[in-house]
Amino acid sequence: MQDLVNVATLASIYLLFAIGMSLVWGSIGILNLAHASVFACSAFAGYLVLERVSLPIIPVVAICVVVGAALSTLVQIVAFEPILNRAHDMRTAEFQILVGGLGVDAALLAIVQKATTSAPFGFTEGSFAIKTFTWGSIRISNIQLIIIVVGALVATAAALWMRRSRTGLALRAIGIDAETAALMGIKRTRLARLTMTMAGGLAGLAGALLTYNLGSVESTSANALLIKAFAAIILGGVGSVAGVVVGCVTLAFAETMVLTHTAGTWVSAISFGLILLVLLLRPQGIFGRAEVRRT
Amino acid sequence: MVSAIFALSIQLPLRFGVFSFAGVGSYGIGGYTTAILVTRHDCPILVAIALGTLLAAAIGYPMAWLLHRLSGLYLAMATVAFDLLVSVLAVNGGELTGGATGLFGVLVDVTTLHLVVITAVVVALVAVSEHGRLGRKIDVAREDPELSAALGIKVPRIRRIAFVLSGALGGLAGGLNTAMTTTIAPENISFALIILAVTMIVVGGVGSWKGAVIGAVVFTWLPTVLAFIGEWKGVVYGLIVAAVAIWLPGGIVGVSTDILHKLRRARRAGDIATAAPSGVDPSSVDPGSDVSPTDDGADDLPVVQTKELR
Repeated sequence: MQDLVNVATLASIYLLFAIGMSLVWGSIGILNLAHASVFACSAFAGYLVLERVSLPIIPVVAICVVVGAALSTLVQIVAFEPILNRAHDMRTAEFQILVGGLGVDAALLAIVQKATTSAPFGFTEGSFAIKTFTWGSIRISNIQLIIIVVGALVATAAALWMRRSRTGLALRAIGIDAETAALMGIKRTRLARLTMTMAGGLAGLAGALLTYNLGSVESTSANALLIKAFAAIILGGVGSVAGVVVGCVTLAFAETMVLTHTAGTWVSAISFGLILLVLLLRPQGIFGRAEVRRT
Repeated sequence: MVSAIFALSIQLPLRFGVFSFAGVGSYGIGGYTTAILVTRHDCPILVAIALGTLLAAAIGYPMAWLLHRLSGLYLAMATVAFDLLVSVLAVNGGELTGGATGLFGVLVDVTTLHLVVITAVVVALVAVSEHGRLGRKIDVAREDPELSAALGIKVPRIRRIAFVLSGALGGLAGGLNTAMTTTIAPENISFALIILAVTMIVVGGVGSWKGAVIGAVVFTWLPTVLAFIGEWKGVVYGLIVAAVAIWLPGGIVGVSTDILHKLRRARRAGDIATAAPSGVDPSSVDPGSDVSPTDDGADDLPVVQTKELR
């Protein structure tokens, strides 16, 4: 039972991080490697603010969300849009986006590392006191509860938004055929920015909550999260909200099991192995569209 | 020198139209194989490096079979997973790989002469593959797989070759690196190494071996020049990569080729240079469409066609 609580918490963290990535990838076809640095920078911004003033949890999370959203939008405008406008076919664009994202990611993370001298940074005690509840043999802290609830809410909201709203419809259309969607009057550039803004905000949210949960985060852990999120997205299927949820839960479950029953040095191997396995057996993921091109 | 071979191990598959970062994993395999053979079995160093190279190449072959269905981003990420898996295996290798600390004390005598000869041979071989019929075959297979299949070029075979060669080059670079630094540890095979490899290639230019060599030289020599930015190195590297990816898709080689083109054109006074100048291969992955109006025929394809592949 205690394992279940841990799985749920871990899965929710992965989910908050991965859902934005998945939406961006599924709709506008950008695999955004800078997502990890947006996450780290948001958490770092929260830390900087808390250094100066003591705030309760809600404003801090809000600050992280805003910073993440702004940063992510900036990356889209400065880096990805020029690439997309200039590349003459999707393959070269993909390569450039991957590399450009990698560059932005490295630069931003290096800035954070420089500012913290690579040491872990955390939020000060004053802003939120962690309490732990115990029912029988289960222990759950209030921040874990918050994370699980927020994760569930965000997933539900994202799913509904993609299913029910006109914007969601437009995004799904772009994901299926961007050219045609544009001919039908969908404003791709604007929607792409909107998606990146939302993804960035979610990354900021994940950054804030994870920092609260662990007490401190390291800038270097962001890239590990990137790989894990990728594994979860691949497993569930790109662009599908349900898929990301299933992927994150599966990954969190597997990692928790390995962590509790072995020495723990193998944990990182799970996500890598999972990526390879899924790509070999079912490249489109559990809920994904058949999107893998065969030549 | 080692960086140049390593950069080639990633760049070669790219030129073959295979989006693979597996060279980083091969680098680890080659490095560890060399270290293990030398420290445990007193193997002569050149034999150890050769075996490491062979092993990495041999692992490249089944990998090509496994991943042959993937392309683009999926393939890239699968190979990234493979690289990181190698480093996890190294951490968990226990006695054999020295766990998290890695192996050290690989004391061997590899002279600069050895290095120069090996690098020169490798670069020459790679350069050969860019010219003549073979070079054209590879270019077509990259630019338009369907077309090349229709022309009777065996695309899957070319891709398999790319994997194997990438493995061999990566293994060779790893082995040489172990010999030079006398150590190998799991943290040598990391996300940072992937970033470094991509940095070298992208800044130099993706289209040709010259790009990989230039990139390797620049980034081996840059830190000494930029000593004063020491602590900002990561930031500067990242920004350089991002900037090049955004504005100069052809890298340094791409830009210089474009300038050459322009000069030629100026001399011909309005003649459109369609013939590829000898010795310079203009079809870098993307002749930066805003850097130069020069198009080399490969871009006359309608833009929409790639959409149909989904």
